Amino acid sequence: MTIDASLGHDLADAVDFMVQVVEAAGAAIIFAGAVSAFARFVRVAFRREGMAPFAQVRLDLGRFLVLGLEFQLAADILRTAVAPNFTSLAQLAAIAAIRTALNFFLGREIKEELELVRADQAAGSAPTAGPASDQRESDEQA
Amino acid sequence: MIITVVHVAALLTAAAGLVVATVAIVRTRRISLALALLLDFFTAASLLRLVGPLTWPDLGTAALTIVIRQLASRGLVAAESSDHL
Repeated sequence: MTIDASLGHDLADAVDFMVQVVEAAGAAIIFAGAVSAFARFVRVAFRREGMAPFAQVRLDLGRFLVLGLEFQLAADILRTAVAPNFTSLAQLAAIAAIRTALNFFLGREIKEELELVRADQAAGSAPTAGPASDQRESDEQA
Repeated sequence: MIITVVHVAALLTAAAGLVVATVAIVRTRRISLALALLLDFFTAASLLRLVGPLTWPDLGTAALTIVIRQLASRGLVAAESSDHL
């Protein structure tokens, strides 16, 4: 009985540590995305290149947010392993639902933004505008 | 400790959003673009704020942020499409 309680306590500690690591990784990704988007924005803001670079900045930030959210959802799932009572479980369910909804909406916005960038490039004068993989290159060259 | 660092990062992200939105308005004269950028940075800040132990008011605030973001986003798309007409 005592060994069981001790094991349970150790398991809870281990999961709590893993949750903190995964959540910190998610937060680091989101913050890195914000810093990167800010730096890119400062770079493109003082050039006259139309709206495409701004859309690209939003696209990149959205990708970072989605990736960070995935990590935070992973931390939520880990938390369910040691949720001590019903209130904690209900809070976990709520936060997981919020993050899943945000992940869905962000994914949809990224798709729409990508279509806008493609349409903008297709309508632009650059005849060499290629597929999605070439977008960053053409943006850098511009 | 980690929570404090993450919450400072959230504040910095929100501040960066305000700067970006202001510069976007000044440079492009397009409020819709500035608002979209501001909402993106605020979303990042609110996600950072959700790290760590949570209370029901925290969750309510996060949910409200997402609803406002979605409403504003839909409104912006509608405004953009009416501009193109």
